[in-house]
Amino acid sequence: MKTKKLLSIIVLILIIAFAFVSYETALSKFRLSDKNYTYLADLTWHRQFDKGLQIAQEENKPVAIYFWAVWCQYCAAFQTNTLGNAQINKMLKEDYVLMAMDLDVDKDVAQKFGVSYPPVVVFLDANGKEVDRTIGAVDAGTFLPIATKVRDQVRRK
Amino acid sequence: MATFGDSILYLSIIVSVIALLGLLLKELKNNNILARFVSPLVLLAAGFLTFAYMLITYYFVTSDFTYEYVWQYSSRDLPFIYKLSGAWAGQQGTYLLWAWVIFLSAAWLALTTKHATPIARRTQIITLAVGVYLIILTLVQTPFKSIYEGRPDLLGFVPPDGSGLNALLVNFWMVIHPPLIFIGYAVMTIPFAAAVVYLLTKDEGWEEMSRQWSRFTWLFLGLGIAVGGVWAYLVLGWGGFWAWDPVETASFIPWLTLTGFLHAAALHRKNKATFSIAAPVLAIISFILILYAAIVVRSGLFNSVHAFGETSTGTLLITLILIIFVGTLILGMRRYFEESEKEEEWGLWSKRNIFYLSLLLFVILAFVSFWGISFPAFVQLTQNLKVNVASDTKNFFNVWSYPFTLILLLALGFCLNYKESEKEARKKTLYAVTAITIIAMFIRTENFYVLDHNSPFFVREPLIYQLLGSISLLSIFPPLIYVAYATLQRLQDYLRLSSMRPKVKGVGLAMVHFGVVFILFGAVISSSFTHTNDRINIPLAAKGELLDVGGGYGVKLIDSSTRSLTEATDSGAGSPGTRISNIKSDPASYVNNNVVVSGKVTGVAYTQSNTTPVTYTAYFKLDDGTGDIWVATQSTDPLTIPEGVDLTARGYMMADFTSPSTKTTYDLLLFSQPDEISDTSASVAGSDKYRVQSVKLEVYQNDRIIGSGIAEYLEGKGGGSGTFPMVSRGITGTDVYVIFQGVGGGFVPLTLKIIPAINITWLGILFFAIGIILIMAVKTKSRGD
Repeated sequence: MKTKKLLSIIVLILIIAFAFVSYETALSKFRLSDKNYTYLADLTWHRQFDKGLQIAQEENKPVAIYFWAVWCQYCAAFQTNTLGNAQINKMLKEDYVLMAMDLDVDKDVAQKFGVSYPPVVVFLDANGKEVDRTIGAVDAGTFLPIATKVRDQVRRK
Repeated sequence: MATFGDSILYLSIIVSVIALLGLLLKELKNNNILARFVSPLVLLAAGFLTFAYMLITYYFVTSDFTYEYVWQYSSRDLPFIYKLSGAWAGQQGTYLLWAWVIFLSAAWLALTTKHATPIARRTQIITLAVGVYLIILTLVQTPFKSIYEGRPDLLGFVPPDGSGLNALLVNFWMVIHPPLIFIGYAVMTIPFAAAVVYLLTKDEGWEEMSRQWSRFTWLFLGLGIAVGGVWAYLVLGWGGFWAWDPVETASFIPWLTLTGFLHAAALHRKNKATFSIAAPVLAIISFILILYAAIVVRSGLFNSVHAFGETSTGTLLITLILIIFVGTLILGMRRYFEESEKEEEWGLWSKRNIFYLSLLLFVILAFVSFWGISFPAFVQLTQNLKVNVASDTKNFFNVWSYPFTLILLLALGFCLNYKESEKEARKKTLYAVTAITIIAMFIRTENFYVLDHNSPFFVREPLIYQLLGSISLLSIFPPLIYVAYATLQRLQDYLRLSSMRPKVKGVGLAMVHFGVVFILFGAVISSSFTHTNDRINIPLAAKGELLDVGGGYGVKLIDSSTRSLTEATDSGAGSPGTRISNIKSDPASYVNNNVVVSGKVTGVAYTQSNTTPVTYTAYFKLDDGTGDIWVATQSTDPLTIPEGVDLTARGYMMADFTSPSTKTTYDLLLFSQPDEISDTSASVAGSDKYRVQSVKLEVYQNDRIIGSGIAEYLEGKGGGSGTFPMVSRGITGTDVYVIFQGVGGGFVPLTLKIIPAINITWLGILFFAIGIILIMAVKTKSRGD
């Protein structure tokens, strides 16, 4: 076989392998959102504000709205360390109705809550009234008591 | 009804179609009936387009807002230069610019070749066809669209002002960035056309014809990308010049394949059998990728700062790409099967083979970038799913590009160092450098890796990215030194020659390749060793004090001011309300009336009553540059008025007012309610002025001054904003870089970056440009002639 042909074939295989690997990786690991949900910190978040609120009312659960952005470094750390914390992750999954708002997309919701720089988590009661919020990439030690407090407060009602 | 400008465009289509017909008649039927008119007609079409371009520029300069495009991208208060550049600020104008430059190239082709040879005629046919297609695109999205079109109710209404240029584009670098890019795009039409002709007919002379044009494209496209990087560095406040944004990446991809083409052409011209398919295919691919870049900018599918929004011309561009792609595939395959029998064996270590490897590496690098920006868009289109290519977008590109860049550098060093007679010795050098490079890849350092190990994104990347990301960046240095050494050797060989031309060409070649070394060195060092300190907040009141911001650095706020873009200083002229000097010169007509004043707070005094409930009063002096006046405001809650901020106050003007608690008498006092006092900068954001806040700063390291300058924050119409960081160049090549994001609540928020070696990258770009100009200046005769 001629060297040139061999080189070309190797490169072609390389390119196809690279394309396949990166495509599969992105699809399995770096899913950001689809029409209905956002996938962050291994949690499924609603994308429509009204719909999320409606579910919260029906299930009588508190709401956590996570404001984030693709380019936000602090969000990445926040997702790994705080939202990724086992206890927090479990509580959010079971006791909360979750919504994620992309600051570059969901500008009106961000404006409604006066959020201009991510990450911010806004806690609402089942009726959509703001109870508390955390601003910035707070650690698990700060986040957990607030999330617990809001949950218990809403349950008592 | 078509507007005047549109009619010109229609005329230019008619004229160029007749020219096209003349060429086709000659080509297909050998009919000379129109041949005499072809050149004049091409010139005429170019003339029409020149006129059309002048016309839209004229509309901008005269602020004719009855044209939607002008209204959209300009306004009366813009300086003259931005009125000129408004013509290429939006898609509509850039299509026109693109079409215009294609026709200027066609005219040049007509004048220089006189269509005497078949290759010239055939190249001209394809150039004109592409040109006409571009005029049609211009017409679909015409810049000459009148605001009355489809809105008869508006007839007779003339908008008093335009909506204005995006604040981010109000910058010198943005004035020159689009024309550089689009001239590059347009000029590439000729190498593309010549390559298609060559694939189709094997006409001799296609490489000679396209040589200067492709170098010209390489220069302009490269400069355009670089200027875009400078803009990102100086304006966006990214703190870097390259962020793998889809649009900047999109214009970088054709530049890579074009670089591949230039290398293929260099060997092809010496031996026509070498790269007889690879060279023309690379030229055509570059052109296809240019069209693709145009789609990326226009589709709105790609998450980017350039996102111009979706438009109808996208489909037309895709159609053109598909036609060219399928055509090239068929032609390329045909040529491949024709020539494959007589192909000779080169041998693995022949120069041609290493060159071929380099071409493939350029293609791989282009593909990495292409894939990285394309497949997320593809996934979104087909599955309605938004994905990111990696946890942090730039990691994807850095991880995949880095290994291939290393191999390319090694191949480059070997080719520059190549000598048939000393091949074995040179091979040993290559082996040695490769071995050192591989060892260097594994050296553990604190944090000098392909991916930043301290970034929160790093731990979230998949294993293969972490592995590739853990390659030590020390491994870039052996290949860089190898390339620099080989370039020097090569330069010496050239300089030993007696005649002038190859000497100049040798210097040009050496400069371009030194440019590669400088750019990569600067990029690696600056992106790895930048010291960042964000969230610095300096109180306006601390003006003149040196504040420690940590890490051994200190910042001193020297001054802060606000002005509007078109006036040198404003403080008052651009602010809402009455000038204070007017009030002072004629108090009688303002006293006992409602008055609005604005200015900077230059003095504050607080008092409180001894009644219950307590009433708090704040007295503060507003200075608008023309004079100052005291304002008082009361509340049952304690008040704070930060000094140094720009406020606007509405209230009742009183004369000879004496404060009950301090007994101070004010000859003029504006009595205002707290809710009638507002931050001027906030209220201006919604008004229609470009307003620049600037802070003068000094940066210290260990109490020694290392940089000073002005950082600015521009607020445009409708709330858009731009940051113009302070960039202070040190002697060592390190930039002191401070981003200022507008005064808020009496504080100056700053981000300080110390960026080393970035100037070496700029120097490398300069070398690129000068080098290719030197190469272009030397007209070497092809050995194949």
